[in-house]
Amino acid sequence: MVDVSRYYGTGEGRITALSHVDFDVKAGDFTVIAGLSGSGKSTLLHLLGCIDKQDDGRIIIDGTDTTMMSLEELAPIRLEKIGFVFQSFNLVPVLTAYENVELPLLFKGLDKHTIKARVGDILDELGLNERKKHYPREMSGGQQQRVAIARALVTKPSLILADEPTANLDSQTGTSIIDLLIDLNIKKGVSLVLSSHDSVVVDRISNIVYISDGSIKKASRKNPP
Amino acid sequence: MNTIKLAIIALRNLKRNSRRTVITVLVSSAGFAALAIVGGYMDFTFSGLQEMTICRGFSSSGGTGHLQVFRKEASQKEEHYPLEYGIADYDELQRKLMSVGDVDATLPRIEFTGMISNGEKSTSFLGVGVNPAKELMLTKYWDTIYSGSKKNTSQELMFRKLAMASSNGVLLGAGMAKALGADVGSSLMLMGTTVDGAVNVVDVTVAGIMNNTMKTIDKYYLVTGTATAQNLMQTDKVSKILLVLNETKKTNHVLSAVSSKINAPGTTVKYAVTPWYDLAEYYHSVKDAYRIIFGFTGIIVILIVFLSAANTMLMSTMERVREIGTLKAVGISNKWISLMFLYEGFFIGVMSIAGGILFKEIFTIIINTGNFEMPPPPGMTSTYFLRIYPAIHFLPWISLLLLFSTTCSGFLTMFKIRKLSIVNSLTHV
Ligand SMILES: Nc1ncnc2c1ncn2[C@@H]1O[C@H](COP(=O)(O)OP(=O)(O)OP(=O)(O)O)[C@@H](O)[C@H]1O
Ligand SMILES: [Mg+2]
Repeated sequence: MVDVSRYYGTGEGRITALSHVDFDVKAGDFTVIAGLSGSGKSTLLHLLGCIDKQDDGRIIIDGTDTTMMSLEELAPIRLEKIGFVFQSFNLVPVLTAYENVELPLLFKGLDKHTIKARVGDILDELGLNERKKHYPREMSGGQQQRVAIARALVTKPSLILADEPTANLDSQTGTSIIDLLIDLNIKKGVSLVLSSHDSVVVDRISNIVYISDGSIKKASRKNPP
Repeated sequence: MNTIKLAIIALRNLKRNSRRTVITVLVSSAGFAALAIVGGYMDFTFSGLQEMTICRGFSSSGGTGHLQVFRKEASQKEEHYPLEYGIADYDELQRKLMSVGDVDATLPRIEFTGMISNGEKSTSFLGVGVNPAKELMLTKYWDTIYSGSKKNTSQELMFRKLAMASSNGVLLGAGMAKALGADVGSSLMLMGTTVDGAVNVVDVTVAGIMNNTMKTIDKYYLVTGTATAQNLMQTDKVSKILLVLNETKKTNHVLSAVSSKINAPGTTVKYAVTPWYDLAEYYHSVKDAYRIIFGFTGIIVILIVFLSAANTMLMSTMERVREIGTLKAVGISNKWISLMFLYEGFFIGVMSIAGGILFKEIFTIIINTGNFEMPPPPGMTSTYFLRIYPAIHFLPWISLLLLFSTTCSGFLTMFKIRKLSIVNSLTHV
């Protein structure tokens, strides 16, 4: 991500959500973006996740320059390379846990057996096996978020983005979700970028990028916990 | 695989919003039923018009019989004198025709023209010479079809009077009777040309006055016995033979049987056999007019169905902005998401067809058993009972139209889906 800016509105009332940000994610990184509310964390993740377009600068995903591509043209890149975990889970309400996880795979053109095996493995891994026939409304927030993580993981993306994944959960469940993500990062080497304004969450992660008023202020690398 | 999943999502969403789905399906089903019932009424009307064309009157507007047999030359060449190409040996021909299966009666007819006079005033006429007893077969045929409804006895009475008139009886149109100041029992003169070119006069007595709705017919048509007409023209021929079948739908089948029977190899005189629908100008013009009216009704109904389904679809997309945003964010392209809504429209269509068939059956039964009495149609003096025919042949078309319009309404969502911003819709409530 090179010299990226994103503005909202025009003229006098123009808000600069991101201003000239350079940001880089390396394979296997686990980065947390920290900052106050309104600092531009979500905006940064949306741009990284190719679900929003920058007004300036270039974004390159796995060597593909996405700058000139429309959001619709970026759909295959999202499907193949990016997994998104949202603050409010965003599962499809009429699909069961299993079906929600299966969904992205169905659009990748994989064969039935591969899909079944992969979804089964992921659900096992995240301890969701008993819940696979349940609909989102029948599950707790933590369970729903785990299903969302499974959905993000199942396509084996190069990057998983999580925008305040714990904000809608109680602290204990939130901690377990963070544990799960750290675990996935270590065991599977998945690259993760997570945003949070919760210091408890931020402190658990070694690689911190502070953002304020749309600019990166400080990047620090602590020793792993 | 993914299309099946999209269909499943569509179905579950329809179920989730069951009340809205039911309302939309009800509207579309009512549309389907309305079209099917209009179709059934159209079939009923056309069949009435068809039988009227076959049975009622003596011209292109009616009374054509099922089939007409002419000499071939009659349609190809101009006659030099009356009945040059008439049928001479018509008794023998009628025997042959009667031996063909499904033929119930043969009716000889003579078409002729001339002047009619009361001694002081004369007017030209178009005459038909008929065999009154045989013409009653057409009336009988009519009565067998419409056994359920009230009988129209006026035509029957006319022929009875004509048959009973001692000799040289005529039936006059009301307009002609008025013009000549004639009444039943009046003596009039028919003037015409004989086959030799001489002018001939025959005295006739008015046996009855016909009330015909068509003004032109009323003023110029008269009906008399074949003998009177032949007498006037000094001939022993008739113009044509009409065939009355036991069922109208056998017309085409009997047509070929008749043609091969009377045009057998070796016979010298060749005949042309013409079905009623090639003779019925009035039938076709009325049918065309009706078709336009019904077609217009159809367009309006389908439009209503479309709008109702489109409304449901757009409401559905508005409510599911967040779901759509999620699917987009996951990397599912707009066309797949649209397909999901296309499925919803399609399923609504399928359910509406099922519901529509049910509604149509219920209404048909209510109407057909209710015996609703309708005012006499133009040209008739009797009332009739409203009937809805099954009109099965319309149903596939109505179904297609309905499916098309509900599915199209699903397609409309495409525009909405394309415009949705992913980021904004993710947090939409
Ligand atoms: N759709 C929008 N229209 C206008 N302004 C927006 C829009 N989305 C975000 N902004 C503005 O852009 C800036 C950055 O917003 P962003 O959502 O990235 O912040 P954030 O760090 O994620 O905050 P939070 O912690 O509250 O989620 C804010 O000032 C916000 O008001
Ligand atoms: Mg945010």
